[in-house]
Amino acid sequence: MADLRIVLVTPEKTLFDCPVTSIRVPMFDGSAGFYPGRAPLVGRLGVGELRFAEVGGTSQSYFIEGGFVQVQGPQVSVLTNAARPVSELSRKEASAALATAQASRPKNDAEAALKRKNLERIRKMQALATRD
Amino acid sequence: MANRRLLVKRLKAVRNIRKITRTMELIATSRFKKAMDRATEAAAYTKKISEIVGDLGRANLKFSHPLLEKHATEKKGILLILTSNRGLCGGYNAGVLRLALAHYRELKGKNVECSIEVSGKRGAKFLAFQKVPVAASYMGFDTPQFADVDQLATRFISQYIAGEIDRLDIAYTRFESSSRQTAVVESLLPLSSLGGVPAAAAKSSVDYEFLPSAQEILEEIVPAAFRAKLFKCFLDAAVSEQIARMVAMKGATENADEMAGSLKQQYNRARQAAITSELAEIIGGAAALG
Repeated sequence: MADLRIVLVTPEKTLFDCPVTSIRVPMFDGSAGFYPGRAPLVGRLGVGELRFAEVGGTSQSYFIEGGFVQVQGPQVSVLTNAARPVSELSRKEASAALATAQASRPKNDAEAALKRKNLERIRKMQALATRD
Repeated sequence: MANRRLLVKRLKAVRNIRKITRTMELIATSRFKKAMDRATEAAAYTKKISEIVGDLGRANLKFSHPLLEKHATEKKGILLILTSNRGLCGGYNAGVLRLALAHYRELKGKNVECSIEVSGKRGAKFLAFQKVPVAASYMGFDTPQFADVDQLATRFISQYIAGEIDRLDIAYTRFESSSRQTAVVESLLPLSSLGGVPAAAAKSSVDYEFLPSAQEILEEIVPAAFRAKLFKCFLDAAVSEQIARMVAMKGATENADEMAGSLKQQYNRARQAAITSELAEIIGGAAALG
């Protein structure tokens, strides 16, 4: 069986570099899964959950915010601005962030778009935090 | 002799200062290691970005993005100066500020309205003393966090795209190797190159599938490349600062050692001279009596 390797990189550091059996990433338009032997791909990521199953059978999930994914042979590189383990997300924090975001009053189109984007991001975070 | 007591006092003072500079050297060394680790870890991201840019380059794509385009007229600019919050780091801040001021005057000569933004207390104080107007100053970049730099980058990007600024320059100390750092002024916007294209092109070409499309990925990756570049400048400056402090404190410690040595010698001479003169007095007195 061909193998698969995930490299999770943020601007601050390489968070993860290890062999895995499968990977699921949040693409700009929905989830996408990678198994060994995936054809080369460069794609844009959205906000959401990155999940991968390690060789031992345990799986890990991270909350990532945008970025890119590059599949090149067995190596899948995930470049993202920020990644946090889902277990670290807290419901309280998410709802507090949601409240602040909702309270902001955009003055022009650009700010309104920013607010929409921000709200979407926080809602996704909240959904992940409250999942289990 | 009063001279002797004075020498003892000075010797003590020099030794105390040596203790301080030695400690500061050790602290700077450990901070340098930490900063260096951060910089190397961050390099992975920049490398990956330029790899993807290289991949895009082979997709027969015309590189066009508002951040890459030069504005027709240059009227307004921002000069970002990265200095340290603390002193005692040799010529680190002076080097950056000297270059930055020269660049500021040059831009002024070209009728470019330039607003200065400065990071670090030292730079802010210097510019205030020189009565150079500063548009914004930041103090929180001792260990630069990506989230903070990202905010700055986002603002610069939107200002550039909206046409509020026509150029962005940054004055900082570039880290070349652990024995060589140079103060430079670099132009960040318009983005001249995305970096690493030839290196990536040399590799065997892989036929990529682009999702959603190569063009859309390009639109996303240009700002990402800019952010990574800006972040790298901050990290470089942080590493260079610690190296500069390390070197300065090492020099100070060595000087203190030397000074303590010569003071000790002077003290010993003075002591011996006192003993000799006392003896001479006793012998002289005994001879006069006898």
